[in-house]
Amino acid sequence: MRRYETLFIITPDSSDDELKTIFEKFQAVVTNKKGQVLSYEEQGKKKLAYDIKKHGKGYYVLMDYLGPADIVAEVERNLRLDERILAYITVKLADNVDPESLKAEVVEPRRTAKPEESGEEAPAAAAEETEREEETE
Amino acid sequence: MATKRRRRAFPRRKVCRFCADSALKIEYKDPKLLKYFITERGKIIPRRISGNCARHQREITLAVKRARQIALMPFTTTLPH
Repeated sequence: MRRYETLFIITPDSSDDELKTIFEKFQAVVTNKKGQVLSYEEQGKKKLAYDIKKHGKGYYVLMDYLGPADIVAEVERNLRLDERILAYITVKLADNVDPESLKAEVVEPRRTAKPEESGEEAPAAAAEETEREEETE
Repeated sequence: MATKRRRRAFPRRKVCRFCADSALKIEYKDPKLLKYFITERGKIIPRRISGNCARHQREITLAVKRARQIALMPFTTTLPH
C-alpha cells in the first residue's frame, strides 16, 4: 500500500452539511478501492494567492490515506467531477507501507481552525470537534 | 567576439539554510517558509542569491511550484508602480 496525501480546496460558501457530505463521499471512495483514510483535516478558509473561479478564499482540506496504486486516479476523478472542488494536488508520501501498523479507528474530520492569514496548524476549536464526533461510518 | 573576463566573482557566502539545520523541512504546504525564496514578483530566487545547496534548491523549487497549483503561493503578482 502506498501512502498519499491530497490537499484540495472547496468553495468557501459551502454549508457544514455539504462539508460533511464531501467527507463521507471521499471516505467511501477510498474504502471502495480497499484503501484507508488516515486523517482528514479541514484547515478552514484561507485567502487564495490568486482567484479561482472568481473566489478569493477557499476552504482547504488535507486528506492523508493509504491505498493501492490505482486509488489516486479514482480520488482525483471524483475531485475533478465535483463542482464544489476548486483545485487539488496529490503527493505520494511513501511506498510499501504496511497497512496494519497504521490502523486507525474511525476517522473523523478534524478541524484546524485558525486566522485566515497564517498557514500554521493550530489546535482545533473544541466546540466544532464535539459536533463532528457524532459521525460514524 | 572576444570574451570578457567577469570582474565580479560571486561570493560563496553562507551555508545552505537547510543543510545547517536538519530540522527544517521543506513543505509545499508551508508558505511562511517558502515566501523567503521568491521575489516580490513571485519568481523563484536563484540559488546564487539564496545560498541554498543544489539539492535544497531543487526541493524548494518543487515545493513552490506545487504551492502555486494550490493557490498557497502566487504565480505572479503585480508590483505597484
